[in-house]
Amino acid sequence: MRRKVDTNVSRLSHERVSRRTILKGAGLAAAAAGVSLATPWRARADDVTLRWWSPQSSPGQLASYKKQIATFEAAHPGVKVVFEPTSDEGYSAQLAAAFSAKQQPDIITHLPSFAVQTYYAQGLVEPFDDVIQAIGPDKYYPGANNVYKTADGKYCGTGIGNTAADMLWVRKDLMQKAGVSEIPTTWDTLRAACQKMQTGGIYGVPYPYGLNSMTSLIIIGFIHRAGGNIFSPDLEVAINSDATAHALDFYKSMKELAPPGATNYSWGESLTAFVSGATATGIYAGRVLKNVHDQNPAIADFITATTYPTMSKDFPAWTFNDFPSIWIPKGSAHLKEAKLFAAFLLDPPGYIEQLLAAPGHVLPVLKTIAENPDYLADPIIQKYKAEVNLMAASAAGGYNLGYETAKHKPNSKANDIIASNVLAEMVGRVVINGENTKTVLGDTATKLADLMKG
Amino acid sequence: MASIAEREHALPGGWTLALRYGSLGMLLIAPTVLIFAAVIAYPLVSAIYLSLRSIFTPTLQGHWVGLANYADLLSSTTFWRALRNNFVWTAGTLFLQIVAGVAVALLLNQNIVFRSLARSLILFPYFVSTVVAVLVWRWLFNDLYGILNHFMLTLGLIDQPVNWLGQMPNAMISVILVGAWKYFPFVVIAVLARLQTIPPQLYEAATIDGAGPWGRFFDVTLPQLRSVLTVVILLRTVWDFKEFDLIYLLTGGGPINATQTIPLLVYQQAFGLNRMGMAAAYAVVMMAVMLVFMSLYLYRARRSEEAA
Repeated sequence: MRRKVDTNVSRLSHERVSRRTILKGAGLAAAAAGVSLATPWRARADDVTLRWWSPQSSPGQLASYKKQIATFEAAHPGVKVVFEPTSDEGYSAQLAAAFSAKQQPDIITHLPSFAVQTYYAQGLVEPFDDVIQAIGPDKYYPGANNVYKTADGKYCGTGIGNTAADMLWVRKDLMQKAGVSEIPTTWDTLRAACQKMQTGGIYGVPYPYGLNSMTSLIIIGFIHRAGGNIFSPDLEVAINSDATAHALDFYKSMKELAPPGATNYSWGESLTAFVSGATATGIYAGRVLKNVHDQNPAIADFITATTYPTMSKDFPAWTFNDFPSIWIPKGSAHLKEAKLFAAFLLDPPGYIEQLLAAPGHVLPVLKTIAENPDYLADPIIQKYKAEVNLMAASAAGGYNLGYETAKHKPNSKANDIIASNVLAEMVGRVVINGENTKTVLGDTATKLADLMKG
Repeated sequence: MASIAEREHALPGGWTLALRYGSLGMLLIAPTVLIFAAVIAYPLVSAIYLSLRSIFTPTLQGHWVGLANYADLLSSTTFWRALRNNFVWTAGTLFLQIVAGVAVALLLNQNIVFRSLARSLILFPYFVSTVVAVLVWRWLFNDLYGILNHFMLTLGLIDQPVNWLGQMPNAMISVILVGAWKYFPFVVIAVLARLQTIPPQLYEAATIDGAGPWGRFFDVTLPQLRSVLTVVILLRTVWDFKEFDLIYLLTGGGPINATQTIPLLVYQQAFGLNRMGMAAAYAVVMMAVMLVFMSLYLYRARRSEEAA
């Protein structure tokens, strides 16, 4: 009996030892696992993921970004870059939501310079001076960064390129067929030429009349080409003028020369209308070249570009350059890496490939690149050398709503004005609704004044 | 034998049975109340609070403005135009959804060939993503390459392309039609389910009494569908009234602002103009309008049900 009890105690004792051993083992194993996990975790904590937003994301551009990202990641172990496309029409809303949710990207490219100025004025942009220094200020064209100069004397971003957004694109074959001997330089000659060329299912112009940013940006150009301004140099509302009335009258007169759906056109539809051959002229930037080359090569030998006609020869040409930008939103958790990547985006091999993804569309801001044989060797750049040079010169001397003329103060409300569609609505009311121009101009001036105050 | 009152007194802690049951009940419904507060009451109170402030969306910073946002929106023509557009869109698309939904449900309730396949395919528009559906429709409506214009030109119905989305009233009609196409399958599902439960004896009796197809529909089918249609109309009205993506993607509120509804205004105020407070005010007013109409609708539906 005693032996039996002893045996049981012994077994119990044995069991106790066994459990303790197991627990100890488990504890040690957990500790070991903890130690082994701690090191990789620290390594993971050091990893950096940069989020990059851009509205420019055609397949060719995406491929070039991918290469630039791969090169940057290889040169900076532990840093990962994720590209997230946005859109010209949607970035404003997406950024507002991102900022309010504290989910803003680390770097943004290709937004117009006036958008960056607006965000800077709202305290949402990191100063960019040190990045410009890292890139090398002497590499830029003179004054290329003026549009990024802020009221407090800093730079809020830099250019990733220039864009001559409202060039006149013409089909020379259709001109010849219609008996139009010269490329129009004034509104009257343009209208007459379009009237002659509008035949056989081909329309004259692909003007946008929709409630969107393209309509707003395009009408700004027309107002300037009639000698007007949206704001005075001191940023007082100046839209209620004869020049604007003339611009609207002309724009309205061209409605019958545009496809019926132009009342809903934005950038994509307007570009496609010309590239597909549905219109005899186009109003767009250099992307036309690549798209014609890829999508409608039959007309590639017949297209050319010039600055958009003005109301009369008394008025100089005025080109809308949205000055596509690079900037860093405030609140980036990886500011150092974001700045490194921003500077890297203008590094020659990758930058040239990025520009050549849409040759002539985003034009170089660095003179060292514009003269680079690798850039100049591109077949499209070579074929349309005159057009590309003209676009480069026009864009370099171009303006936008944030920077209407060299005399104007930077307009930090420009982005809000475009996003509000006030200017597009003005066009729609006059052209589509047929409302009285003076009444509409009065209303628009009031709305602009409210936006400037707000 | 101890009375109930005595036994209640005997409970430990001085708690009566009723008090204990009451407490248990409170404890059991507490999770529901908490979830309700978190997902309904908090956003509602938050929206009302936001609507009383002027708030800059990106930073969510702002200040108290009281009822100024409401005063501004009620005095603006934009709001009243958007509200009118909202009613036109909701009434138009809802009417088509109900008519098409009931008609197709009646058809699918018959013994037709490939009935199962047809019942599955009819759900396709409802399940397809709105973005995809809108892209397809935009191509169909395209003035230069759209198949709709192409066929009409080929058939000689028109001599130049119709501007489906950039001109009124075409734009509103197009939006209403696409909305009806997209959402009528919901009505089909609900009505078909009810149709299958209507006793066939009712139809037999009506037939014996000399009722024709129309008579059977109006005297048997429609009264039987009343309860399900009440719910369907209620739900679809709420959903259509606050529809955003379909209209935004199809017309963006254009031409000019002719198809701009209140949800589009809320979006524009919140993220286009960065005025979150004003956007909240629009949203609160929209909710109030819906509440008024829903209450009236439910009241009338209940009255007519009682009368029946």
